[in-house]
This record gives sequence, C-alpha cells and structure tokens, in this order.
Amino acid sequence: MPERTIAVDYLARVEGEGALKVRIRDDRVEEVQLRIFEPPRFFEAFLRGRSYAEAPDITARICGICPVAYQMSSCHAIENAYGIGVDAPTRALRRLLYCGEWIESHALHIYLLHAPDFLGYPDAVRLAKDHPEAVRRGLALKRAGNRLMSVVGGREVHPINVRVGGFYRAPTPDELLALRPELQEALGLAEETVAFAAGLTFPDLEEDYEFVALRSDREYPMNEGEVVSSRGLRIPVASFEQEFEEVQAPYSNALHAVRKGGGSYLVGPLARYALNADRLTPRARAAAEAAGLERPVRNPYRSIVVRAVEVVLACEEALRLVDGYRPPDPPSTPPPDPLPAASGCAITEAPRGMLYHRYRLDAGGAIGEARIVAPTSQNQGRIEDDLRHLVERSLRLDEAALTSACERAIRNHDPCISCATHFLRLDLERS
Amino acid sequence: MVGTTPAPRALVIGLGAEHRGDDRIGLDVARALRPRARGEFDVAEAPGDASGLLDLWVGRETVVVVDAVRSGSPPGTVRRVELGSSDLPEGPAITSTHGLSLREAVALGRAVGRMPRHLTVVGVEADDLGLRDGLSVPVARALGVAVQAVLLALADRASP
Repeated sequence: MPERTIAVDYLARVEGEGALKVRIRDDRVEEVQLRIFEPPRFFEAFLRGRSYAEAPDITARICGICPVAYQMSSCHAIENAYGIGVDAPTRALRRLLYCGEWIESHALHIYLLHAPDFLGYPDAVRLAKDHPEAVRRGLALKRAGNRLMSVVGGREVHPINVRVGGFYRAPTPDELLALRPELQEALGLAEETVAFAAGLTFPDLEEDYEFVALRSDREYPMNEGEVVSSRGLRIPVASFEQEFEEVQAPYSNALHAVRKGGGSYLVGPLARYALNADRLTPRARAAAEAAGLERPVRNPYRSIVVRAVEVVLACEEALRLVDGYRPPDPPSTPPPDPLPAASGCAITEAPRGMLYHRYRLDAGGAIGEARIVAPTSQNQGRIEDDLRHLVERSLRLDEAALTSACERAIRNHDPCISCATHFLRLDLERS
Repeated sequence: MVGTTPAPRALVIGLGAEHRGDDRIGLDVARALRPRARGEFDVAEAPGDASGLLDLWVGRETVVVVDAVRSGSPPGTVRRVELGSSDLPEGPAITSTHGLSLREAVALGRAVGRMPRHLTVVGVEADDLGLRDGLSVPVARALGVAVQAVLLALADRASP
C-alpha cells in the first residue's frame, strides 16, 4: 500500500504552536504523538539562583495569555514555603485578579480560536466578516477582563502589582467601583455567550475522562483547594508529586504528566465543572441549566459551553468582589526575617487547568530548585487519547479533512503550547 | 482651532515576548523610545496575543507597531510598511509566539471597525526565536536603526 504523508506547518489557532504526528497502517492507528520541542525546562533553569521575590514576575512571562496563573501559583508556593498566611482582603483581591484572566483568556478562546471550527470558518477574521456582532461580543468581554487585570494587576498583560505576600499597592475602592458598569455589561454578554455556544452543533461523542481539578469548601476553585478526581482521588496539594508523575516521551523533550499507576487525565474547564458544578454562582448555574448542560460534560467539543459558563461565573464573582472590596492593609505580608531554607508548593486553576509550582529556597531567599507543571503538559497525554479515538473513527476521511478534524480535536482543550513549547508541525502518515 | 477636539497623540506599540530571543525586539524598541516621547507620543508594550492591539489603537490617528519579522532577509534588517487601507502584505511574515498574529489582528480590526487611521509597521528581521533571554547580536545591533525608523515614521505623519 502506498505511503501517504500530510504535513501542516503549524496548528492553527492554538496558543503558541504545536505539532502532531499520526501514523496509520492497514486502517489501524499505530501511533499518535503530540510533539513538544521545548528547550528543556528553560524557565526552571532560569529561576535557579534568583531571589524568591522575582519568581512571580519571571514565571508570569512564560505565557502572554495566563500570566496571573503563573503569578498566583508561584506566590502561593513561596508563601507555603515561608509559612506566610494572607488575610481575607488579599485573598479576595487575588480572586478578583484571577477573574480578569479567566474572562480574558476564555473570551479569546471561545470567539477567536474555537468558534470558527463550529461555524465553518478557517479563522476568526473570516468569522468576523460574516458575524461581526459575535466577534465584537468576544472582544468586549476580553476587554472587560483586560481592564480588570489592568486595574488590579497594574498592567494588562504580565501584571506587575503582584508580589509574594500580597500586592505592591492595593487599588482604591473607587478604582474598582469604576469597573462596575463594564463588568455588569460583561455579565450580560457572558450569558449571551452561553446561549451562543449552546446553539452550536456538536459532533455526537463522549470520552471516558478522569477529571482532575481543585475543589474547595466554599467556592468554585481558582486559588485554593484540594486535588480531587472523578475516580475518587482526594489529596492535599503537597501530595501532588506522590500521585502524579511526569514521564519523558521519546519523541519530545517536554514531559507528559500521568497518574501514577494510571494513565492520562484531564484538567481544565471540563474537569472543574465536573467536580465543582455544585459550586457555581447563581447566574452561572442558571445559564448552564438553560443551556441544557449535562454534568459531567464528556463531549470535548462542548467545552466551549463550559468555558462560557465559567465566564459568567467570573463576571459574577468579579462584581461580588468589587462590591465587597476592602483594601488589604498593609497591601502585603512580609516574609520571615532572616529567610530560612524552605520548600513549598501550590496549585491554582489557570484558565486551562491546574498549574503546579514547587520551590526549594536556600537560606537567604535564593531559589535552589523550581518545578513547574503546566496544564497543557498534564493534558497532553489525554489529548493524544482523544486524537487516537478520533482517527480510528475517521479513517475514511481524506487527508485534508482528517488533518482539520485533528486540529479541531486539539483546540477543544485550548492547549497553551507556548507554555510548553516552540515551533511545531503536524504530520499525518498513512501506509 | 476653537471648538475642535485635538487629535489624540500618536501611539507606538512594541509587540513581542520577553523571553523568546529576538521576539522581544518590539518591547526593547518601545522601552528605548519611552524617554524620548516627551509628551509628543504615547508608548505601549503588548507582550500578549495581538488581538489586544485592537483596544490599544482604536480611536488613534497614527499608530506605529514594532515587531519581529521573518522574511528571509539578513537578521537585523529593518523594514517599514505603511498599511494604508490594505492588509499586511504576504511578506514579510510577522511572527507571533502568542495567540493572534499582527497580520490577523489587522484583518480582524478591519472586519470589526477597530483600526487607527494610519498604521505603520516597523519590522525587524529576527534570527533566533527560541526560549532565550536576550537578543541575537545582529538584532541587538539593529535596535538603534529601528528606533530611528519609528521616529521617522512619526515625523512623516506629523508633517504631511
């Protein structure tokens, strides 16, 4: 049988760039590789020897889309190491900042990266020509998220106001109240987004995911909680590395995270929703119900609806936090003096899923070792499983259609490959 | 003139990713221009995806975006492209290690009516876009030329 190969230079509409290789022999899928050519652990190496105080700003630069997640995980991990407890106002302000990032990142993915797949357009530009109102709605939501990040974080992208122990400067109540009209409008747009997303047509399929997310007693998780899974796991964050491990894939110099003794698992909106639907805010819950959203959602294409529900939640939470705002005073809690040698870890919920940071700090505050497990590297094995199933179901498709279907299946999980990789390509090989 | 609103100041936007080798040249040019702005133009840095540009530049008369490009020219080559009413040409390729590229942002801005009146792109040919801290030698050498190219673009707009 003649061998056929398809090569596409980049995975379009994935944050950063990714590459996939699929090998089919005699109508059987032999191999699926989502390859990541990460210069090995650049940022972990870059952090060694730096001061603990630099970690939030350095790691925020790993990704232009989710800098707050990196700042939050690094702050919490270092505070965990030093035994710094933050007060309720600081906690609330951090959650408000995280809401900005969820709104911004999800709006970008829903409208500019994911929606074109469902409406038959190659990209957001073509979508915008026929449906400018939908793209304008997405841009307005994104703007509201950006504004929130700008006021709380000090700058829209790569906020500079976050520090270990809290913030450099607390915004004034008036500064936050000024955001209210835009957030109120964003909440309405977010509800329209749920209806928009629920009205799309979805391929009929379900995957058997093990969902993994944070879960806390009081709220839908962002900054804190235990690690729970849909197969009964429930562990403190400090046990993460005992239950999960990163393995080196031979075709990639990035690491894939797996459950020890188990297999791939899924983090991100589908997992958070599956494990925390009872923690949704009232309007988010109502929007999910109106959209007929099942729980859990096992159809990865329907992740666009779950993301939209999370945007409603983030807008609602932002309004609640703005209304109840008390400036943290002082704006940050200092670390111990002198700084002892210490180790600590933390997980927060980046828009794309759990982001784990662990630091070993030398006496005096220099970083001796840093460990960062990004959501995309956790989902990578699971995305490969989705792709394997997709290709098995779709062997009759021609190369172009199959390639496009694979790209679409990858986009369901909004992989931020720029967090874990550089330029990648797609190769589809049949023999 | 009495009763008219003064035109908003020109805006220079540096686009790029800080730790992606030469991709940071746009940010470096913006930082070099900041002390020279003296209230005559504004400077912004855009290290995220380029769709954020639409909010930065909407309502402006004159905007200059500085970004790394890949066109096959020698690394460090500085090019200036006036966009007028056309989309960005197919070449030089504008790189992006983030969400939307500059080319897509321009096309999207036109589709939804969020564009400045005049848009100039100053592109600096990149050499290394890997995860790396700092510019390659040829791109670092081009920093001053790129700064001058931006100032010239602003001067041309100010005195039509």
